[in-house]
Amino acid sequence: MAEYLLPRTLGEAGELMMAHGRSLAIIAGGTSAMRCGTCRGKRGRGIACIECAGPRLVSVPNSAFVMDIQHLGLDQIEADNGLLRLGAGVSMRDLAASDLPETLRQAARRVGGPALRNLATVGGNIFARQPYGTVAAVLLAMDAVLVFAAPDGPQRIDLAEFYAAGGSAPGLLTHIECPHPEGKLLFLKCARQRFGGPTVISVALRIELADDGTVSAVRIALGGAGEHPLRAVAAEQLLSGKPLAAAAIDAAAAAAQENCAPADDPVASAWYRRRMVGVYVGRALSQAAGIDVEGAPA
Amino acid sequence: MTAKLVQLTVNGREEHIAADGLTSLQQVLREKLDYNTVKDGCTQGGCGACSVLVDGELALACLLPVSRLEGAEITTLEGLNESNSAGVIQESFVEHSAAQCGFCTSGMIISAKALLDENPTPSRDDIMEAISGNLCRCTGYLPIIEAVQSAAGKLAKGGDGE
Repeated sequence: MAEYLLPRTLGEAGELMMAHGRSLAIIAGGTSAMRCGTCRGKRGRGIACIECAGPRLVSVPNSAFVMDIQHLGLDQIEADNGLLRLGAGVSMRDLAASDLPETLRQAARRVGGPALRNLATVGGNIFARQPYGTVAAVLLAMDAVLVFAAPDGPQRIDLAEFYAAGGSAPGLLTHIECPHPEGKLLFLKCARQRFGGPTVISVALRIELADDGTVSAVRIALGGAGEHPLRAVAAEQLLSGKPLAAAAIDAAAAAAQENCAPADDPVASAWYRRRMVGVYVGRALSQAAGIDVEGAPA
Repeated sequence: MTAKLVQLTVNGREEHIAADGLTSLQQVLREKLDYNTVKDGCTQGGCGACSVLVDGELALACLLPVSRLEGAEITTLEGLNESNSAGVIQESFVEHSAAQCGFCTSGMIISAKALLDENPTPSRDDIMEAISGNLCRCTGYLPIIEAVQSAAGKLAKGGDGE
């Protein structure tokens, strides 16, 4: 059984990480770490949960040491000078109840049920196995930067680069920062239930239009469409500089659908996920353009 | 050994638990302390059958390492039953046949209680959202939603059941 460590300061946490290296795993809200811990331990049945099956970014159950970060004061939400700064330990409930941009709050509110949201953290969401990590997809569309406490001082990594490099953390994730979003920010989640329900896929869209109605800046981030939240770069390129109208939207939706790598799991097949990426990217763009989409939920 | 002694208050009683590593609150409540309303469901945070209140907040006992809970106050359905603060909700569950096999019922009542404490006049959507983390495979949810609606109505009229 792992030894449970509860450091009280970042300095103490850093020392523990240095001392124990790869035999130490980090637990925040516990909504990934514990489910993983209990599935192995559960009466020796050897049932692998979704956390244990396949590749993942974190590993808890077999670690000799587990470090809990909830006493490190990482639960602050700050917003000033156009910069949003979230502590890695901010819960989904606190994020949903904050005065941050509505879209980010909506995304937090679509994580699990109320009890889960009281536990799950923003930092954990960054590392969550797909198709979880829907808030991370919104942060990706917001050009978020991760701040790690590392041995040589704070280290900042663009969230997009972090995922592109395989999601390897150089230290303890302490904060997530992003500029206050310009233009429109939208989030859509495809799930089988209106409230709760695991993610099939999710789409976060941030888009700015120039005065002539052409797209001047666009970020499309997909959840549940790869090993980690993914930017739909090909779709973004197709939209840049074009008027946000049906032709460009259809082309972008098709490109997003083409250029993703969703997985099969008990929630949905890769086949279905891929198609939903196309549908939901199309819906998000249509909503941003003010076009009514037949059959789309209000 | 890496076991730590953790002090908790469960339903008003002080408990000292030797917990090691990632021992969950669910395991402690059900297996060591015999609070049988805390169900051993999915142990993955997916079914809500182990819902309890931790320092007054709704939480999933299966996802909480007991090692982090030093000094916490835990309330299970047994605790609400003793104070009868869930009495009106329980009555409404009976009246609306909101319990069939009963496995989800304790978690449902805890979630309903957490909702009504925070929002005494919930809409139907509020109720659906409040119980969205609790799976029920019998009722199809409608009787449960009606039971919570009816409990909210009764509590609003002053029948607080306490």
